[in-house]
Amino acid sequence: MTDIKGQVDALPGTDPRAPLLQINDLHVEFHTRDGVAKAVNGASFWLNPGETLAILGESGCGKSVTAQAIMGILETPPAHITQGEVRYRGVDLLKLPEAQRRKVRANRIAMIFQDALSALNPVYSVGFQLAELFRVHRGMSRGDARKRAVELLDQVRIPGAKSRVHDYPHQFSGGMRQRVMIAMALALDPEVLIADEPTTALDVTVQAQIMGLLAELRRERNMGLVLITHDMGVVADVADRISVMYAGRVVEEAPVYDIYARPGHPYTRALLESIPRLDLKGQQLSVIQGLPPALTDIPAGCAFHPRCRYAKDPCRQDPAPPAYSIAPHRTARCHFFREVLGE
Amino acid sequence: MSDVVLQTRSLVKHFKSRDGAVRAVDGVDLQLRRGETLGVVGESGCGKSTLAKLLVGLEKPTSGAIAVRGQDMVRLKGGDLRRARRNIQMVMQDPYTSLNPRMTVGDIIGEPFEIHSDVVPKGKRRQAVQDLLDTVGLNPDHAGRYPHQFSGGQRQRIGIARALALKPEILVCDEPVSALDVSIQAQVINLLERLQDDFGLSYIFIAHDLSVVRHIADRVAVMYLGKIVEQGHDVAIYDQPTHPYTQALISAVPVPDPRLRGRRDQIVLEGDVPSPADPPSGCRFRTRCWKSQHVCGEQEPVLQIRERSPHPSACHFAEVRRVR
Repeated sequence: MTDIKGQVDALPGTDPRAPLLQINDLHVEFHTRDGVAKAVNGASFWLNPGETLAILGESGCGKSVTAQAIMGILETPPAHITQGEVRYRGVDLLKLPEAQRRKVRANRIAMIFQDALSALNPVYSVGFQLAELFRVHRGMSRGDARKRAVELLDQVRIPGAKSRVHDYPHQFSGGMRQRVMIAMALALDPEVLIADEPTTALDVTVQAQIMGLLAELRRERNMGLVLITHDMGVVADVADRISVMYAGRVVEEAPVYDIYARPGHPYTRALLESIPRLDLKGQQLSVIQGLPPALTDIPAGCAFHPRCRYAKDPCRQDPAPPAYSIAPHRTARCHFFREVLGE
Repeated sequence: MSDVVLQTRSLVKHFKSRDGAVRAVDGVDLQLRRGETLGVVGESGCGKSTLAKLLVGLEKPTSGAIAVRGQDMVRLKGGDLRRARRNIQMVMQDPYTSLNPRMTVGDIIGEPFEIHSDVVPKGKRRQAVQDLLDTVGLNPDHAGRYPHQFSGGQRQRIGIARALALKPEILVCDEPVSALDVSIQAQVINLLERLQDDFGLSYIFIAHDLSVVRHIADRVAVMYLGKIVEQGHDVAIYDQPTHPYTQALISAVPVPDPRLRGRRDQIVLEGDVPSPADPPSGCRFRTRCWKSQHVCGEQEPVLQIRERSPHPSACHFAEVRRVR
């Protein structure tokens, strides 16, 4: 398998010692009627093999756009990557010609989406859609490709894979459909899987099944997993490290245990405090005042300052706070991180 | 018990379909007291939204009774029905589609006054709308704006203001915060709690998010395939669940505390919810249940207090299991 893979999609310049995935200072803008919307304003993070990195944030924070930029599936226009690097094993994907880029997609980096029904083609059987991958990327025969499709459905624990391979997407339940999409993403053995809100549309009991499956597959394949989500419960359950995004920036980055125990950015802290908790029943939930900023009009300085209870003068002035190193493997973009940490 | 404001008896709603009937709500008995919040939880397809629509009269029950302050809503007609319905109003899930984009916010909130014209005299309606906006924490001067000029959380406040227009005693909230971001969710939950205190409102609070329900509800009913399978005070349901489905449901909710990872008693259910058009015989949960035995397929368990369940549970083998 590996030698076929090396042959099919050799990528010049890869350095096995370089990080699996490294995003540096990524900027993405959308040109809209209302002006330039700055969806991503200098996002940086990295990912190691076998690791789960959660990108946590609310709607409009730029987490999905970042994922699409990594995959190279941003619609351009209106979106433009104006700055930054997306390095896979040291190779900057943003500099590759489109033909090379296509080979990276699915082969090296694959993605699953929130809504499996609209991500799958309704007029082809799932078996056909899976087999197509092997025929196009691996040049397999129809029969062999079909066989691999059944194996894959079996690997994502779809009962009766042999007969279900002939079914169409609408014949699957929400959870099963999500499994089909996972099978499709894993078909070509990628080293990185980006999961964009993979369980948001699912019920909790099904969510537990899918998150369990993803964790198992990640372990089996030593795959790097980027989990994009707004759900702090899911993150606490599966992530190794977290990058918290706000208004297009990673405002805090930390190992999962540290961030829940002692958040270093006021936004992270406020998010954690706004979750309904057992011991606070009957009390008012603490809220974050106001709304996230419009991306066409991001506040100067720290984008969070209008909603922040720690904000002081320096926060309102450019430049935005740098990523302070606040502890080993931890950064926070807040001038007053010591106060937030409670030191 | 005079403080019961809402009661249903054997409430049933079947929808006709090509292959028989979808049994969306299949025999629901519940009671809501004044000033109380009853949480209804369950997964998609369990019938919780149909139940909401039945309660506010947007759907007609196939059989059974709904009493609001002792008045049978199913039998009432004409002006009597209209007056009775003022008492029970609804807050919808999606603040983006439940507000007419071509109406101003003032018209949306004031529309109930047009229909129930004797509640507020014409000359005072403008003021009433402004008061409502103020009550839900919006700027009264914004009555002339359109829904798209507001954020999701603000739109949900508009929906709440509209529901409050006729001074109801009961609000049926169908997933009122699920479309909102966490930080906005907290604002709307706090608002609902404040309104409850200020106006003595009773809530039916329907949601799939168990931690939100736990925060706001006094009592909780767990639904599965059109039936309530367990019901009790919030502490009973969350800390001493006795129905296997409730146990699985609670254990599946991720806890925002990484220290508990791998140390929680997690029950991962096999398979999906069966079709409500063709529910399993006997206990409807038996196809996914690890306790299922012969009797479960033969005999439908009744929702009742049992030897090992101090609160009503619809399981032959009901037994307390702490799952977190």
